[in-house]
Amino acid sequence: MADRVRTYPGTRKPTPHQGHRKRNCVKVLERLSAYLDDELSGDVCTEIRLHLGDCPNCEVFLDSLRQTVRLCQHRPSPPLSEKDRAALRRQILKAAEAV
Amino acid sequence: MAARKHSESGSTDGHGASSPTARPFDQLYRDNVDVMYRFAYRLCGEAEAAKDLVQETFLNAYRAYDRFRGDSQVSTWLYAIASHACQRMRRKRKGEPERELSLTEFIPTSEGEFSLQIPMEGLSPHEALENKELRQILDRAIAKLPRKYRMVLVLRDMEGLSAKEVGGILGLNERAIKSRLHRARLFVRKELSGKGLTVDGHEDVTTRHR
Repeated sequence: MADRVRTYPGTRKPTPHQGHRKRNCVKVLERLSAYLDDELSGDVCTEIRLHLGDCPNCEVFLDSLRQTVRLCQHRPSPPLSEKDRAALRRQILKAAEAV
Repeated sequence: MAARKHSESGSTDGHGASSPTARPFDQLYRDNVDVMYRFAYRLCGEAEAAKDLVQETFLNAYRAYDRFRGDSQVSTWLYAIASHACQRMRRKRKGEPERELSLTEFIPTSEGEFSLQIPMEGLSPHEALENKELRQILDRAIAKLPRKYRMVLVLRDMEGLSAKEVGGILGLNERAIKSRLHRARLFVRKELSGKGLTVDGHEDVTTRHR
């Protein structure tokens, strides 16, 4: 994923949403994850970049998707306590030997 | 991580340690339980269900141990067991829609939905996630995902596996994984875009809600 964070403060408002329904916008929207994950060919990337430069809505949308992915990637998860780790092990071995 | 099937360095204390399978099992358990708990917690969204899933995963791994051929990484093998166990356990979440997500439902329909209404400007994702309410909104969005999409999002974006690895774990081709991942991300994005947060973690009542 391209490592850049851009945010859009309230001063930059997207143009009316009807524009986003245009066929080009939908085509770009379909490929944004592949774009972020760097899975597209050079030609397609250029095509998308050109569209993004021309369409603030899609640019803002892409940034919000990038931010979403980064939040998922960095969301920590609570660790297993020592007590639970030992208890789980006992339960697993007990269940395994009961069969 | 290298496969440790034949390791004999497991502990000798505690229940079952004297059985032939227990010692390599202990090694397997010690080396992987933290990763599996993290994965289970992300799938289940809470501790008790996650512990049940970890137990089921290692129990199945224990039973299938002799059949593990070592041609994939141990962690990948365990991810696959856990994913299948999760699908079988079918702990249905309240309100979880088991449905197909279509791309058209993620096209914004009003101006407020293009951007995330959350304070991330100038913050790293790590710093942004110090906001408790943002964490809750993100967790809720992930929990609301239909299971098959959640599984792909968790494996790809949270556990950091490649599309190919996730395809191997779930028995799907890469194209299907990428398609599900994109829809899952769009779903979470949409959930975040409708929420208003202020910097101190309190909801901004002036922000429009869907």
